[in-house]
Amino acid sequence: MSISPVKIWRHQKIISSLLKRKGKIISWTIVRTPPAGYEQEAPYPVVLVKLDDGLRFVGQLVDWEEKDLKFGKKVEAVYRRIIKPDPEGIIPYGIKFRPL
Amino acid sequence: MKPFVIGVGVTKFGELWDISPRNLVKEAVTQALADSGITISEIDAVFVGNMLSGVLGNQENLGALYNDELGLKGVPAFKIEGACASGGLAFHNALNSILANKYKTCLVIGVEKMTDHKPEEITNALMAAAHEEERTAGLTFPGLYAILARAYCKKYKITEKDLASVSVESHYHAALNPKAQFPFKVTLKQVMESNYIADPLKLLECSPISDGAAALIVAGFDGKKMKRGVEVIASEVATDSLGLSGRNDLTTLKSTVLAAKKAYEQAKIVPSDVDVAEVHDCFSIAQVLALEDLGFFKKGTSLKEVIKGKIRLGSGAPVVNPSGGLKACGHPIGASGVKQIVEITIQLRGEAGKRQVEGAKIGLTHNVGGSGAIAIVNLLKI
Repeated sequence: MSISPVKIWRHQKIISSLLKRKGKIISWTIVRTPPAGYEQEAPYPVVLVKLDDGLRFVGQLVDWEEKDLKFGKKVEAVYRRIIKPDPEGIIPYGIKFRPL
Repeated sequence: MKPFVIGVGVTKFGELWDISPRNLVKEAVTQALADSGITISEIDAVFVGNMLSGVLGNQENLGALYNDELGLKGVPAFKIEGACASGGLAFHNALNSILANKYKTCLVIGVEKMTDHKPEEITNALMAAAHEEERTAGLTFPGLYAILARAYCKKYKITEKDLASVSVESHYHAALNPKAQFPFKVTLKQVMESNYIADPLKLLECSPISDGAAALIVAGFDGKKMKRGVEVIASEVATDSLGLSGRNDLTTLKSTVLAAKKAYEQAKIVPSDVDVAEVHDCFSIAQVLALEDLGFFKKGTSLKEVIKGKIRLGSGAPVVNPSGGLKACGHPIGASGVKQIVEITIQLRGEAGKRQVEGAKIGLTHNVGGSGAIAIVNLLKI
């Protein structure tokens, strides 16, 4: 994943509009063979969430236990670091979900 | 004006470290020209299907590159990209140019060189076909299809074991195809015991990383039918949301449904008329969705039919993926859509040897880009 500070800045509006919003898991997986940049986190669950207003969004699930990975599980959108940046690069933050 | 596939060629698929993309293409094109009986000077235009040459190898401008390599300098050439459907879309564009009377004879090339690079880099590069939101989530293509598989299995009460049975069929056919990356059978137990890649999908339910090339020559003719040509009776493309968040239903690929509907209407046939099909089985669940979205089986029932041998050589109607499919023949991204048409052409001409579908008259190819963001369905007949 290439990191563009301009792109990160442009995405802030979308990110802030999603923060703290709640929804339910409608499907999920556990990624065990990650793309470049995500190796340190693997394996990690990714959930597809239907937010309370009907909008759907995918993101990693954090602070999770096995029992959280089920249909209909309530989650909340939180702000988290996406990947470890280069020593001199900008730190990319984005939306992840945590179980409620 | 009717378009016919008049010559086909395909390289061995696999981990081909000692062969360059130029040589892969040269081999496939040499075969296709010899098969067609035409000379290279009769080619009016070249269409190249490829996805990753830029992002993995920092090489674009493939139209000019392969024309230079093939001795076609001066001839118009185009690279067509639509993720894993790049090959099918290259064919579609060649066809359109013939139907528009712009060119008479076109060379279609599908090529991908993947194994020169590390798996994490390839996984990352493939995610160029997905939505930004999905890249940020650290998703992968196995992950995206796993999300579809999870939803499908819940809706239709399907077990992981049922889903795993698809790969056994793919390998059964690949064992009869010397060009396949994995020309051997696997057991259900082996599939079930393979490691999870993205739960619930296991290693042996995922298509591999492959190198390979396929080529074909498609030409327009007025009046009488070509002697050895296979007629293209429909080629239709449809799109859907780029990412899974944009879908209301995770148990179907609407792009496939739409492209298939238009293709059947165009050719004035119904799904049960198809004798042999090459469908986009990048993952076990992808094949399940394809079998249903193409209208071969009712929603939720295809695995029952697969387990009964209803897509297998000898008992299938239609026989699906006699080449071994993306799963077992291999999936060099840009080459796959072209290879499907090569396989169907060989089948309809009755030249497929041990894996020949007896009496096949109508064939279908189905090629998908992304997690269903774009799909193409082609129908061919002899």
